[in-house]
Amino acid sequence: MQRRTFIVFFLIVMAVVLPLVVKEFWVHIFSEILIHALFALSFNLIFGYMGQLSFGHAAYYGIGAYTTGLLMVKANLPLFVCLPISMITAGIAATILGYFCVRLRGIYFAILTMAFGQLVYYIIFQWYSFTGGDNGLQGINPPEILMKAQNYYYFVLVVFIIAGYILYRIGESPFGYTLRAIRDNAERTEFIGINVQRYMHMNFIIAGMFAGLAGALWGPFIRSVAPDLCNWHHSGIPVFMTILGGPFYFFGPLVGSIIYTFLMAIVTGYTEYWPLVSGTIIILVVLSLPSGFLGVADNVIKKLFVRGN
Amino acid sequence: MAQDFILKIERLRKSFGTYQVLTDVNYELEKGIIAAIIGPNGAGKSTFFNLITGYHKVDNGKVYFKNIDITNFKRYKIAQMGISRAFQVSNIYPKLTVYENVRQAVLAQQKKTMNLFSYASSLAQKETNELLEITGMTKIKDSIAGILSQGDKKKLELALALAGKPELLLLDEPTAGMSQEETFETMELVKKLNREIGLTILFTEHDISVIFGYAMRLSVLYQGRIIAEGLPEEVRQNEEAQRCYLGEEI
Repeated sequence: MQRRTFIVFFLIVMAVVLPLVVKEFWVHIFSEILIHALFALSFNLIFGYMGQLSFGHAAYYGIGAYTTGLLMVKANLPLFVCLPISMITAGIAATILGYFCVRLRGIYFAILTMAFGQLVYYIIFQWYSFTGGDNGLQGINPPEILMKAQNYYYFVLVVFIIAGYILYRIGESPFGYTLRAIRDNAERTEFIGINVQRYMHMNFIIAGMFAGLAGALWGPFIRSVAPDLCNWHHSGIPVFMTILGGPFYFFGPLVGSIIYTFLMAIVTGYTEYWPLVSGTIIILVVLSLPSGFLGVADNVIKKLFVRGN
Repeated sequence: MAQDFILKIERLRKSFGTYQVLTDVNYELEKGIIAAIIGPNGAGKSTFFNLITGYHKVDNGKVYFKNIDITNFKRYKIAQMGISRAFQVSNIYPKLTVYENVRQAVLAQQKKTMNLFSYASSLAQKETNELLEITGMTKIKDSIAGILSQGDKKKLELALALAGKPELLLLDEPTAGMSQEETFETMELVKKLNREIGLTILFTEHDISVIFGYAMRLSVLYQGRIIAEGLPEEVRQNEEAQRCYLGEEI
């Protein structure tokens, strides 16, 4: 427990200090890491905790992004008001779509989430008069005070820490353990008197809301949103990050996001074939590190600790 | 009409495809006793439990628990009403520790599983430790459940069922895979629960010494029908029961 507290403290200090000493490009990368990490943390409620693979999580991220984008561009609402509203709209979408998804398990769950994700994508893509279609929405400017990259980064950091803490508490709560129970043995969970579908649905909604929050931070960050945010390619990002970092660790998605985003920033500086590189990495990780980088780190630390004793 | 019976089953029928597993089974279970259902493999014992607890859908017939018709209720509803079961093949949470396994079932019973912001580790400690104590698992409470021996898994299975504070406990071969000593401890615990808190217990078993040592009433299930019923001694003397199941062992 103490070790974990120390690591969290260290990470927060790094997150506060680093942007002061690096170039603006890297500050952008840091913001991207946090936004993607929040997206992946929300995804991991469904994947690592509940044991189901959602391949349509970008739908809720995109709905959050578009809610904030539309409210800021068309209604001139301030960003701070848009964030909670984005969570609500993504939550409503997750309530409706999740109602059907949680009736299925395994590959069928994955396919239905993906199908619904694509449905959201096509609606946004086609609805020119409202969403701007494939042109997306431009001019989503954050408030004056957050226009500077560094300031926006600190804003994202604060939102990330609050949301991350809430997600952590959920993971450690009786609800979080019920999700693990469902992951381990859904059948047994029914026989101890738990309505499994209801808990899966509730979790789906929570995960959708936090994905919506991550999406809401994205628009003002790059000043625009596009339908691709909802596309299934985009749903692959949290899957990739979580597997990379370790789905059975709370910080797994964050670690995955750090590795993924840094690598992408560096590799795309040299070649346009980023997907080739990321594809190779995911194959290597799945084959040789099934519990992700944190799984490896955990094993190394445990071995050192045992030897130390 | 069925006032004294905690469980009453009327003309229960189940088939899988063309194979009829249970044929018009009638059964009554008095409150507060230990009863056993015996029969050869494939007689329909597990299916009988599966129909009572909602694991399978009933084709025909009725299941009454405390005079309430619970036929085809959802599994979690039946569990909430007070019927717990332990499975024949242990059915636990393999990645959680023994303690977390039991705590999960305790939290479910206390209806605290929707709690989103308390630390699970700070809740239900007393009840969880008590259950670990009475089932003899305190020493292994931090072990990951998936790597336990078969006997310990069965104990955990029993602890999970007891955590639900049931009024009726269904045990499907509770001592399969246990050593003689563990079998004795487990069945003594069952007896103690029956005597001290009046828990009604219905179990299936192949071990003749366990059956005749603990059951107050016996029913013999054979090819989907109950062919003999009564006190253990009566069943022991029953010719049909002898021919179909008990054989020359008795």
